[in-house]
Amino acid sequence: MSPHPATDWDQLQDRFYRKQEIYRMSWKHMDLSKYMIAGAPFGGPIAMIRDDKKVLALQKQQPVKPTIYLYTSAGKLLEQLQWDKGRIIKMGWTDVEQLVVVMEDGTIRLYDIHGDFTQFSLGKEAKDHLVIDCQIWGTGLVALTGNFRLIALTNFEEPRPRLMADPKLDDPPHSWTLIPPQYTLSRHVEVLLATGSTILTVDVIETQNQFLQQGPFTKMDVSPNGKFLALFTNEGKLMVVSTDFQKNLSEFPTKAQDPPQQLVWCGTDSVVLYWDKLLLMVGPFGDWVRYPYDDAIYLIPEIDGVRIFSSDRCEFLEKVPNVTEEIFKIGSTAPAAMLFDALEHFDKRSPKADENIRSIRPELADAVDACIEAAGHEFNQVRQRSLLKAAAFGKTFLESYNSDRFVEMCQILRVLNSVRYFEIGVPMTYTQYTRITPDALIDRLINRHHHLLALRICEYLKMRTDRVLIHWACAKIKKSTDDEETICRMIVEKLANKPGLSYAEIARTAHKVGQPKLATRLLDYEPRAADQVPLLMSMQEDELALIKAIESGDTDLVYLVMLHLKRKLPLGEFFRIINNKPMACNLLEVYCKQQDLKLLTDFYYQDDRRVESANIAILESYNQKDLTERINKLKIALKWYQDDKEHSFEAKAIDENIKLLQMQAQFEKEMTNQRLVGLSLSETVHKCIVERQHNKANKLKSDFKIPDKRFWWMKLKALVEVREWDELDRFSKQKKSPIGYEPFVEECIKATQQSEAAKYIQKCDPAVRPGLYIKIGDFRAAAQEALALKDIQLLREIRSKCANQIIAQELDAYIAQVTAK
Amino acid sequence: MSHLGTTNSSLNVTTLRELARKDLKNVLDSVRGKKCLVLDPNISGPLSLIAEFSLLKDHGVEKVGYLQQGPVETELRSLIYICRPQLNYMRYIAEHIQHHQNEYLENPLAQKYEYTLFFVPRRTMICQKVLEEAGVFGEITIGEYHLDLIPFEDDLLSLELDNTFKELYLDGDYTSIYYVARALMKLQTSFGLFPRIIGKGDCAKHLADMLIRMRREVAVDDPSPLSISQSVDSLIIIDRSVDLITPLCTQLTYEGLIDEVFNIRASHVEVDSHVVGPPPTTTTTSTSTNSPSQSQPTLQPQPKKKKIALNSSDKLFSQLRDLNFAVVGGVLNRVAKRINDDYEERHKAKTVVQIREFTNKLGGLQLEHQSLKIHTGIAEEIMAYTVTPEFNKALEVQQNLVAGIDINTQNEYIEEMIDRHVPLTQVLRLLCLQSLVNGGLKQKGLEFFKKEILQTYGFEHLQTLLNLERLNMVSKQLSSTRNPYAYIRKTLRLIVDDVEEHNPQDIAYVYSGYAPLSVRLIQHATTKSGSSSTSNGWKGYEEVLRMLPGKTFDEVQRQEEGTIRSKRMAQGQHPRVTLVFFLGGCTYTEISAIRFLAQQDEGQREYVIATTQIINGNSLLNSIMSSCH
Repeated sequence: MSPHPATDWDQLQDRFYRKQEIYRMSWKHMDLSKYMIAGAPFGGPIAMIRDDKKVLALQKQQPVKPTIYLYTSAGKLLEQLQWDKGRIIKMGWTDVEQLVVVMEDGTIRLYDIHGDFTQFSLGKEAKDHLVIDCQIWGTGLVALTGNFRLIALTNFEEPRPRLMADPKLDDPPHSWTLIPPQYTLSRHVEVLLATGSTILTVDVIETQNQFLQQGPFTKMDVSPNGKFLALFTNEGKLMVVSTDFQKNLSEFPTKAQDPPQQLVWCGTDSVVLYWDKLLLMVGPFGDWVRYPYDDAIYLIPEIDGVRIFSSDRCEFLEKVPNVTEEIFKIGSTAPAAMLFDALEHFDKRSPKADENIRSIRPELADAVDACIEAAGHEFNQVRQRSLLKAAAFGKTFLESYNSDRFVEMCQILRVLNSVRYFEIGVPMTYTQYTRITPDALIDRLINRHHHLLALRICEYLKMRTDRVLIHWACAKIKKSTDDEETICRMIVEKLANKPGLSYAEIARTAHKVGQPKLATRLLDYEPRAADQVPLLMSMQEDELALIKAIESGDTDLVYLVMLHLKRKLPLGEFFRIINNKPMACNLLEVYCKQQDLKLLTDFYYQDDRRVESANIAILESYNQKDLTERINKLKIALKWYQDDKEHSFEAKAIDENIKLLQMQAQFEKEMTNQRLVGLSLSETVHKCIVERQHNKANKLKSDFKIPDKRFWWMKLKALVEVREWDELDRFSKQKKSPIGYEPFVEECIKATQQSEAAKYIQKCDPAVRPGLYIKIGDFRAAAQEALALKDIQLLREIRSKCANQIIAQELDAYIAQVTAK
Repeated sequence: MSHLGTTNSSLNVTTLRELARKDLKNVLDSVRGKKCLVLDPNISGPLSLIAEFSLLKDHGVEKVGYLQQGPVETELRSLIYICRPQLNYMRYIAEHIQHHQNEYLENPLAQKYEYTLFFVPRRTMICQKVLEEAGVFGEITIGEYHLDLIPFEDDLLSLELDNTFKELYLDGDYTSIYYVARALMKLQTSFGLFPRIIGKGDCAKHLADMLIRMRREVAVDDPSPLSISQSVDSLIIIDRSVDLITPLCTQLTYEGLIDEVFNIRASHVEVDSHVVGPPPTTTTTSTSTNSPSQSQPTLQPQPKKKKIALNSSDKLFSQLRDLNFAVVGGVLNRVAKRINDDYEERHKAKTVVQIREFTNKLGGLQLEHQSLKIHTGIAEEIMAYTVTPEFNKALEVQQNLVAGIDINTQNEYIEEMIDRHVPLTQVLRLLCLQSLVNGGLKQKGLEFFKKEILQTYGFEHLQTLLNLERLNMVSKQLSSTRNPYAYIRKTLRLIVDDVEEHNPQDIAYVYSGYAPLSVRLIQHATTKSGSSSTSNGWKGYEEVLRMLPGKTFDEVQRQEEGTIRSKRMAQGQHPRVTLVFFLGGCTYTEISAIRFLAQQDEGQREYVIATTQIINGNSLLNSIMSSCH
């Protein structure tokens, strides 16, 4: 029988704290006092390197070169990194478990857990004055330089170091810390510097003095939710204030002269201080508890507690969660406690079980919920089980209890227990798990190459397994020494039954590690053509990249590849690649027509596309202001067309065009103030007639073999336009009109010249005359024509339209006359 | 506020509009404070269908301008551009910025401008490159506004992409297919997988392939496989190149003729204000006073033009739009009489209750009256156009051509049109039609017309003619091949002799005798044979389809294993909606004809029409002609 859970609780005022051992460390003979240590939150790994400021007895197995060791929380060595660079000022961890190493000269390295790193610099300021200290949070850091300036870097993904406001310090601060951007009002990082007896708040724009008198503050730390600041004065007083310095929350005299070696928050309500071999926890109301240690320890603050590393174990100190307290507090009569108790009675076949349940009947559902939640907060699997059993027991008395939470908690606990297993060594609490989400947990597992576990968890929680598989494949490629055939087969086999899985990432990895053939083969499996393109381009597989871009149907991607190729390759080579790809050619033409006619001309020339070459020349000719230039361009086009028997018509047309332009230019000189160039042939003829240049019009007619019909139409319209009725009359009599005389009538009517119109009606076909007369309103003439036609129907129609009484009578007579016959 | 969602359609397209609205708000909110909106002129129409001007105002838009050459004049310091990814627009924007930068050099104290550019529907590398080359890329914050299918009506969606036909067939630029595919994928994610994709035409095939490919690719991002649509039973893709005859014919429905005469843009038409009478004194929703383009009189001063919304919120219009124009006069007459009778009722109203009843009706009545006035005005204007001898002669020639009667007088008439110097599009409409129905023109005649056109309309139209030849819209008759159109006409019964315009029995009523080929194909694709619950597709019409240009396809999209079959499917209810997609644009007559099919099926089948844009013969030819200037 395990001891009662509450036996190791410590009471601080009205609340309880518990310190549980999670792991016995796998490491041996570790003296933590000799190391510079950085621990990742959320049960993450710890990194340590020998602190060069501390003396260490030389041991045989100790390597001479400094080494960064990465351990799991269970003390299992993950990786060791040979350190060959400058002095390390600080180490820390990002949200995605990358180790940040800050060097004296402002160089920063981001290591993944396997020692691959990227590197960048904080810039000149840091290089010139050296970095003397640094504070790191999940996505950024602030460095303190030798001239007491602060350099902020807010995003490790895109490092853009930025100098913060000058705090104007003459001496190094007594202590300092920062509030990460997500917890400040301005949403930008704020730095707190202890100087003199006060604290300065510094952001990018300004420095603000908080005018405190209690200083100097030799140690400080901001609570995990960014709301509170714990301060340690040189008189040994621990103060807690709000981070906006509006409230003094508590003060506690420690009677210690020296500042603590570590001062961290335990969750958000108590502060943990560590002096050599002594751990002191101070609660919000000044109560405290002390834990002695035999050797050095290291504290890692978590959102819900603090992880304590010592040479032989890893412990977790936390406030006992409310539900747990409710159930296990000695003498608790809370419903959940009663329920838990009832199960024990039930197991002992005691009737008290029933009594208990009856007494809490109304709150039974809450009691079940509480037991489920309490189970979540337990590291101890036996206790998890008994709490879940109590919940299940309580559930049976409820008619309609939604078991989703129960099922979900069982699943979560299964996951948590599996990652807490010492071989994996991620002592994540339920609270932490819900905060970082299962996705982030999976990412952490695959980063540590626990692919199988990650895959199982994904399948168990019904999450996508893609990234696990992709990561696995990438890792496999990086590590494997097999030939590409074997690797490829192995990967494809494993991933075969996952439709829609993206291979681009895997192929990219293969390319990076110098396996181009493998990369190409893997890339073939990528379902998204679009995703294949960038990699193919960087692999210099130009033609294949273009083919895939075309396949994707995304024309913009085709352009991307084409313009890349155009920059990179000699023109001939470029054309050779695109020539047999119609879509690429088409797109190039579309682009060039708008942006680069020169390129298009070259393109057509090399492909011997004469018609298109000719058309470009024509297009260019229209852009020319100067007539000679214009004609020259047309002559180029003409030559192209003349080379092609299929296009004799076009050649002739261009020839005519040139002739027209020349004649227009000639006529312009002869006529004053007339613009002819640019008009069409018909328009030119029209203009000549309007300007009474009939000879010129006739010359155009004969030179361009304008058909009679069209010429007559043009002349008719032009003469009506300038109202040259006599000239029109003369023209109409020139010869028999090839277009008949109806157009003459119509055009005159349009110009509202009824009498002129009447002249031509007589020349028209008798059958159409009555209608035309009606149009000009001459009903009498219409009637006579109709009579001549003996068209009774027409006569009646005219009669109905006619308003004039006299003519109407005449019409009646005609009608009678025709009907009589 | 919106006329959408009023019918009982199985496919609720209002969600598309809501989505587009939400996106637009995000676009506008991405820039803080007051701002000037600079719109692609081609986007502003469609945008007015998504959001009214007050929405823009509510989100800080103080001024709206068009994206064009020349500097933007505004005191506002934040500019939001919304435009299609076109290279010329990038040059304009670069000019604007350079202009501002010069100003800034003169007056360094001035506050700097902020530029945000939203591409519709997505950003392209090629546009960014132009901005980079102009050295202004760094000045602009770039985003995307995913506006694609815009619901015009419950049964009509349009992408409002201009010139798709020209881009696809003349330039071979398939960008629009990619956009269409993405838009259709979006439809599939909201309405389920289209179980069947049938289609005709090379580009249509390309689109279908891309859809199938995208479905595979989408699985990379989203693991849950798409389930089969519960409402849509098939997607029919009709490629414009399959049927070029239909758009070249003169549309004879009311809406079609409005388009032919006045040119409808984004379901709005601009007419001279005298046509529709003085502006109504009562508040009315039928005229869109809220559209952003109208609120910009300074930029587009058109004092005498009036913009009228043509959509189903206008009850009278929704009654008229699909009718043959011959019938419209009669309907207007009856409505006028009814409204008059309704007004007369006020004399009968004796008691207070009756008077109140009347006044309650009055608002609706006035609205109706207003709409009657508008449509009478428009109809009169159209009438004036349709009685001209030119119109009738051209119509006669055109109808003879599609019916396959006589050739010689037609040539003569076309020649006369050229001689008369009528607009080139009108000439080309008939010329192309003649070439298409006769399997080309005789060499001699063709060369004669080409020469006539070049001499009359200018030698620059050499390119136009080459374009038409390349598109096979004008071709040389080859003696060896027989003319396929005659066979197609007969097999598909494209000519229906006795069309009763008042009580149409066939889709041929939309052209008074000619049944649009495209819609005939759709009709046959959806006709069920005998007792089987699914249609046979084009079984039995293989020969005709072989004669039409482009590939034919009939693909089945199956659900991946493991997805749950929907309840409705299990209960044996079959989806009823057929989605028709016109790649390269469709005409109003085709829309009317498809609506007619839906009516004929008496609710057994619904059609939702989607298109790249709405076209007519003129806009189709203009896009081909414009490429030479």
